[in-house]
Formats: sequence, structure tokens, C-alpha cells
Amino acid sequence: MRIGTLKESYIADAALFDSRTQKTWLGIAAVLLVLFPFVASDYWLYLACLVCINVASATGLNILTGYTGLVSLGQAAFMGLGAYTVAIMQLRLGTPFLLNILAGGCVAMLGGLIVGIPSLRVKGLYLAIATIAASFITHFIFANTSFTGGTGGLTVPPASAFGVLLDTSFRLYWVIVPVTVLMLLGAANLFRTRVGRAFIAIRDRDISAEVLGIPLLRYKLLSFGLSSFYAGVAGGLWAYFFRVVTPESFPLLMSIFFLAAIIVGGMGTILGGILGAVFMTMVPELLKLVFDLLPNSTELTVFLSPVRTIIFGLLIIGFLVFEPHGLAEMWRRIRRFFHLWPFRN
Amino acid sequence: MQNSRISQNRRSLLLAAGASLAAPLAAHAQAGGEDIVLGGSIPMTGVFAFAGVGINAGISDYVKILNDGGGIKGRKVRYVPEDTGYKVDVSVAAYKKITSQNKVSLYYGDSTAFSKTINPELDRNGNILMAGASFATELNDPKKYPNQFLVGPDYTEMFGILLRHIAKEKPGAKVAFVYSDSEFGRDPVESSEALAKKLGLNVVIKIMTPPGSVDVSTEVIKLRRAAPDYTIFHGYILAPIPEFITQGKQQGMTSKWMGTFWTMDSSTVMKMGEAGDGFMGVMPYRYYYDTSAKAPMLDKIRQMRPEYQSTAYIQGFLAAMLFTEAAKRTLDAKKELNGKNLKAALNSIKDFDTGGLIGVPITIKGNSIPVGRVYKADMKAQKMVPASDWISL
Amino acid sequence: MDWAYLFEISLTGIAGGGLYALAALAFVMVYKATRVVNIAIGEMLMAGAYLFFTFASMLALPIWLAIPAAVLGAGVLGAVIERTMIRPLLGEPPISVFMVTVGLASVLVGLVEMIWTADQRRLPDFMPTQAIMVGDAFLAPKIFWGAVIAVVFIAAVLLVFRFWRGGVALRATASDQAAAYSMGINVPRVFSLAWVVSAMLAALSGIIVGSIGGISSTMGVFGLSVLVVVIVGGLDSVLGALVGGLFIGLVEALAGAYLGGEYKLLATFIVLVVILMIRPYGLFGTHEIERL
Repeated sequence: MRIGTLKESYIADAALFDSRTQKTWLGIAAVLLVLFPFVASDYWLYLACLVCINVASATGLNILTGYTGLVSLGQAAFMGLGAYTVAIMQLRLGTPFLLNILAGGCVAMLGGLIVGIPSLRVKGLYLAIATIAASFITHFIFANTSFTGGTGGLTVPPASAFGVLLDTSFRLYWVIVPVTVLMLLGAANLFRTRVGRAFIAIRDRDISAEVLGIPLLRYKLLSFGLSSFYAGVAGGLWAYFFRVVTPESFPLLMSIFFLAAIIVGGMGTILGGILGAVFMTMVPELLKLVFDLLPNSTELTVFLSPVRTIIFGLLIIGFLVFEPHGLAEMWRRIRRFFHLWPFRN
Repeated sequence: MQNSRISQNRRSLLLAAGASLAAPLAAHAQAGGEDIVLGGSIPMTGVFAFAGVGINAGISDYVKILNDGGGIKGRKVRYVPEDTGYKVDVSVAAYKKITSQNKVSLYYGDSTAFSKTINPELDRNGNILMAGASFATELNDPKKYPNQFLVGPDYTEMFGILLRHIAKEKPGAKVAFVYSDSEFGRDPVESSEALAKKLGLNVVIKIMTPPGSVDVSTEVIKLRRAAPDYTIFHGYILAPIPEFITQGKQQGMTSKWMGTFWTMDSSTVMKMGEAGDGFMGVMPYRYYYDTSAKAPMLDKIRQMRPEYQSTAYIQGFLAAMLFTEAAKRTLDAKKELNGKNLKAALNSIKDFDTGGLIGVPITIKGNSIPVGRVYKADMKAQKMVPASDWISL
Repeated sequence: MDWAYLFEISLTGIAGGGLYALAALAFVMVYKATRVVNIAIGEMLMAGAYLFFTFASMLALPIWLAIPAAVLGAGVLGAVIERTMIRPLLGEPPISVFMVTVGLASVLVGLVEMIWTADQRRLPDFMPTQAIMVGDAFLAPKIFWGAVIAVVFIAAVLLVFRFWRGGVALRATASDQAAAYSMGINVPRVFSLAWVVSAMLAALSGIIVGSIGGISSTMGVFGLSVLVVVIVGGLDSVLGALVGGLFIGLVEALAGAYLGGEYKLLATFIVLVVILMIRPYGLFGTHEIERL
């Protein structure tokens, strides 16, 4: 039961982690994160890295769609911009990887700003469709300019840090996880500031926000820029992780995946972005495990892919119909139960 | 002094703890032991499913035949497949899973994109020889892809066989290329155009169709206006070829129609219906129902599987055959089973009899097997019949 | 300037646009009545085509029986979708319903892959095969007849909306649900009707599209071009669906002929962006006025 959470100063009230139990749990989580790569097999490390990349990108989308209310189906395209920037810089210039990732984020941010320009003219679903157009246009550019390697794509040499080649999941873990954690903290802090609150105001009722003096175009563009920066960084990490970028690597389906991730996780909460990305990345793996355990598994593997597609769709529909606030809401309910125990709600 | 000693102890304690945790994982990986592992990222579902199911069956059947006959020098071959749905990231995940749980020596990849993606990993691993469903020209480069090979001619070589056939039949003919806007489709076009020029043929038009396009009428109009004598399709499995042919014939085109490997499976061509009569293409293998010459392996396949098996099945079967032959030669030479040795053993294959799957004995000098034959579709007999001799490039 | 070539390409393009118009009509039907953007329209098209395939090829029914059977089956599918997925989200923000249709698209693709596998297939031919000649210009018969069917249906729907009570009820429900309720219109039934008719139209469109290019589990990508058509024409305008469809068909044909096959989709999406910038509600759509 939670007692004695009285706050006496504004700073204490606005703190991200306010109770001692929360801080201890966070400490334990940090220790586990550090110990994980030493005990996990290559496959689990691979999954962990992939999950972190997805978390980073989903958080970016959450900023745009969950907090600012601008539905975007172009997240994969921005990841692609980041990935290609990193690929081209690493391949042709050989610059240090942190610089490349930052550059990837910036290029994606520019793309986001351009795509965000129509956002003052069009709203809601029209904007979503405009982002689909952006997705196709970037795909076209990737596939048809020789600078980006055409349909064959580009092979990325591994990043190197202090002379060590980052070519295994184990080594990349130490880059991907800290970057992701940094971005998560950044996003969480964003919503304690004026800018973050402006985003939320725009989501709730943008005309009212404008009446209150929030310049709509500036903040909408900022939101697009930030979320595509996140996507660009995630894309850069993706490029170092998979080490091949092709135009087919960032299809519209991937944007839909991220949108599904934040819906399932819970739009408008940082935890939602994390939970959603983890859940959506792990569900196909769990499915494969379940299929392996069934008898007749060799005949049934033909059904794995369609079942995966169906479950993906059902998850989206199910969460929207039954739990529109996502896994984060379920998590909050569980926490509330423990906070109030032994009393009932 | 004291501090560093204590921390040394602590460090070695941590290392010992870590090692003891890792040991069972490592031991599990070695549990395969004597078996030679053939891993596979197989597209058993998704757009390439018809091929994936066939490939899977082909590999399993050959491995079974081999193991029933005692394996390779007493060691059994274990086939470990995973379904990928023809998606690159699923494919890579499958590779990582299989290689982390087994000591893999041979690997089958499901697509051009995967073979290219995994290449640096493959080179770093150094223990695996890889082949796959791709016949991409880019992979046919022993320097860039030293641990991989193709189970047949590459797409440019396939075009080469068709173009040579055309040049013989009708010198100076007008040729059109129709291909899909994908990596698979674009792969051989540039080099084939150059080859056509060398052979004195005139490439009148190159048409690229967007993937998943439904309405090709504008492309057919363009094709008709170019009035080619031969039209080569590449980068498709079935659609939109029948539509091209039907509309082309309706508009009075007299072109002969041709295709490359993945279009040339007998059951696929038969699906074209009337439009497919006379459709020609390159096939490096004999078809399932071919009884024209002695083919002990084909007989065995027909015995094991009484119903028609696609050319994808034969591709998988042959891949397994070449894989295990390379392994056998490596072990015969008392060398370790690693990528370099397996590849060297593969390249030592000269005048090798595939048991009739390929019509002539084969030699693998580089990364591909540049042999093939032109076949023609006979709709009445519902079969593909040979239209040329076996051509070795 | 080869005028004959231009004429021939444009003719094919416009006729091909008729197919887009039919699918766009299905989309507009749902939007007009329920204000739902159904991004799964391509997949519903695919479902209709596969149903036809089942009846005509697998069960070998005669064509004149298979087509109505497929269309009716699709209608049932539409009713089920409306009841289970759209009705529960009645008061929710439009984004939620949009995402539900995204999920629906995935479910439909998965079901098709599971039941019929992901192989490409061909539908049995049932349209006349005589080539249509307009002067020297050749027009593929399937495209021509497809366009004719599309125009017939669009005209029929236009008339229905104008004169039939059900059509007026549909329009009334779209503009103000509460008022429609108070006038005694059975709003839930109108919703169901809209989805059923939309599914049937999509199925018809799917049968025609499938008989031209074959069917596969990736047919749904047709829906993206349809989305552009409805944006250009106006999300709730039947006439806009026709005009938009013909226009986009023409643009795609010209882009494909003069620039190259890879530019088709790009040209379509550039048109989309331009329309969004200068006339976001489309050529014939109603301008939405947002009130606080």
C-alpha cells in the first residue's frame, strides 16, 4: 500500500520517479540490463537489440501520434532516411558511428519537417494519408537513385568503437541499449516541459490551443521533427544492426507495425511505447514457440505466417474495442491494485 | 596492492560464475555432436510459398536418402529448417537462432536479399557454406561472396542461354525485355542488354512493371508498338505474364514468349491456359516427368513421391546433393569442415554426374553452374518439352 | 508527338480508371453513411475475388451462379465486420475506427493466406474476348467491359441516393445521426446496409480486377490507389469517385507510358499531395467545418 506520497514542492511533484519503491525497481532493472548480455544466448541478444530499436522508434511515433494527436503512417520512411544516411556515411566516409547516427537523426528530422508542412492544411485522416504518400515517395527515391544503391541497397560495414568492431549482437547491445534509454528519458522529460504540454493541448483540441496562444504550425512541425529524429536514430541503429539497407527494408507495413505497437501499448504514455514495442516484437517469437510445441509441427509451419498476420490484426482490433488505452492502462490498474491493497479501489 | 588483489579475486569469481552459467548453453550447442547440420531459412509461407514447400521437401528427401545409405562417412546429416515467409528480417532471425543452437556447416537461404544481408555474418562465422533460392548475378562473384554458390546458372547466364538460342534461330532478331520492379527483376537486365548487342540482337524495348500491378494494358500497348520477335519475361512467378500474352495476341502481336527459371515450373506454366502454349524458357534441370534419358535420381524421386514435384523441389534436392558432396570431399581430404574448405571442395567438382537431374555432367568453377536447356510448353500434352540441346556456357 | 499513341494510351487509362471508380464507390458508400475511412477496401476486394474463385473454380459452379454467390458472400462478410468491429466503436474518434480497418486488412490477408495459400491464381475467363477497336486504337476487352460495369453501377447508385428512401436515409444518417434517429430512421440498420452494399461492390470490383491480373494475397495494394482516387474526388462524393477514378487511371497510364512503369505509383501519390495542398476536400467533397 502506498502511503505518505505527499509532495511539498513543485519540483518534487513534477519528478519522473517519485516513490522509493519505483526507484528501487528501476535500480534492479538497470542491474538486470547490465547482466543480461552475459547470460543470454546470441538469439536472445539479437531479440533484445531488435526490441530496443523498436522501442526507440515507437516512442518517437508516440510523441507524434500519442501526445500530439497527428496520426502518421510514415515512421518507417523516416527510419529509412536515418538508415540510409548512416549507411552512406559509414560506407563512403567512414566517420565515427555516433556522428553517423546523429546525422541520420538530423536527416530524418528534415524529412519529418517537410512532411509536416501540410499538417496545417489537413488534419486527422487526411494527414495520415499524406504520410502514406511520403512513405511511397521516399521508397521511390531509395529504389531509383544510384546514390542510394538502387534496388540492391547498400551493405554497411560494422561500426567501430575504440578499435573494436561492433559486429556481434553482444557488442551492439552496449550501444543500442544506452541510446534507447537516453531517448526514453528524453521523451519522458519532454512532457514535463512547456513544449510537451503544448503538444498535449494540440492533441486535445487544436483550435482551442491556438486560441490559448500556442502557434500551431510551429509546434506541429516541432512534433514531426522530434518524432522523425527518433525514427532516424532508430533507423541508424537498425542499419548497424542488420548491416544491409534495401528499399524493401522499410515498407508501409513497418509503419503500421509501429502504429499498432503504440495502440496496443497505450498511446500518450512513455510506458505504453515500451510495452507496445516489446509486446509486438515478442508475439511472433512466442507464436513460433507455441507452434514448435504442437504435435505435427512440420505440417503446421505452413500456417505460421498467416496466423501471425491474423493475430497482428486481431490484436489491433481487440485492443481498440476492448482496451483503447492499451497495455499501459492494464499496467496502471495492476499498480493501483497494489497501491491500494488491502483496500479495494 | 591489497585492493587490486581483492578485486582480482572478485573478478575471477565473477568470470567463473559467468562461465558456469554459459557452459550449459555451450554444451547444448555441441549436443549435435557428430551430426553435420544443414540449416535452412525456407520461405514455406508468403509469396514464395509454392517454391518454399517444394524446396523443403527436396532437401528433406535427399537428406533422408543420404542418411539411409549411411550418411557421410558414418556421420548423419541433420536438416534444421525455419519458415521465413520470404521476409529478410525473419530470415536473419532464423539464421541467428539456428546457428546459436547448432554447429552449422551448410545453410540454405531463401532470397537474394537474405544472401546479401547475411554475407558479412557468413564471412565472420567462417564455418558455413551457403546456397539458396536466389540465382542473382551479383552473388556469382567468388571474391565478394566466397562462402556462397548458386544451384544453377545466374539470371544473366539464363538470359545468355535464351539470347544465344534466339541468335541461332533468327539472327538479328528484335528482342524485348519485360521485368518486374524488384531486385529479383532488375538483376540481369543491364548485362543481358550488353550481351544481346554482342550477339547482334536488337533490344527494341525494356519494360519494367511495378510490383503488384494489376492493369498492364499500357505496357502491352508499348510492347506492341515495339513489335519484337521475342519477348523475355523476368522477375515474375506467374502474373502478369498471361495477361501480357493474351492482350498481345489479341492486338495481333507475333512475338515468341520466353521466361526464366522461376516462371518455368511446369505447373505454373500450365496455369497460363491457352495463352501459355508455346511459352519457352530456360530450365537447368530435367522436369519430374522427363523420361527421355537415363536418370537414376529422377527415378528415385518418382518412387518416393508419386505426385508431380515442382522444379523448386528439384532445386532443393540438388542443393542438398551438392552440399553433401562438398562435405564428403572435405572429409575425404581429412580437412576441417569450414567455409573455405567446403567451398574449395565444391569447386573441385568436375564432370560430376547429378544422377540425371541436370542433363550433362557439371563442373563448378566459380559460384554458379552455367548449364541449361531451352524448353517449350506443350499445352495439349500439358508438359514442357525440350526445344534445344543442353547448353554449357 | 504521336497522337495515335497518346489517344490509345489515354483510352486505356480512362477505361482502367473505371475499375478504380468502382472500388472507390464501395469506399464512398461506407464513408457517406458512417464517416469511416475503410483502408481495408483493397482487402475486401480481394476477399470477393477469392470467394468467386472458390465458387467458380473450386466448386465449379457456372459463372452466372458463382458471381451472385460471391457477391452475396461478401455482403455477409460486410455485415459481420460492421457488427463486430465498427458498431462497438461508434462514439470513438475517427482515428480509432481507421486503425480498426487497418487491423481488419491484416486479418483478411491472413485468412486468405491460410485458407487459399499465398500462391498466385487465375480466375476463369467469363468476359467476351473480342478486342475493342476505336478507330485504330486498341482497347483490351476486359478493361472495356469492366469500365462499362463500373459506370452502370455508379449511375445506379447516384440515382438510388437521389430518389430511393433508403438512399436518402443514408445521407441523412451521415449528416446528423441524432436528427436521423429522431426522425425515426433506424440508424443501426442503415449502417449495416451501407457496409453490406459496400462489401458487395468491392467484391464485384475484385472479381473484375482479379480476372484481369489474377488473384493473390497481395491484391490489397490496389486499395492504396483507390485511397488516392477518393481523396481526389472527395471522400463522400459518388460523382467524385467516378471522376477521380477516371482521372487517376489516366494519370497512371500516361506516367507509365511516357516515364516508365516505376513512375506510376509515384505520379499517383504526387497528385495526392498536390490535391491535399490545394483542395484538401477533393474535387466534389463537402467541406468540413470544425466547430469548437
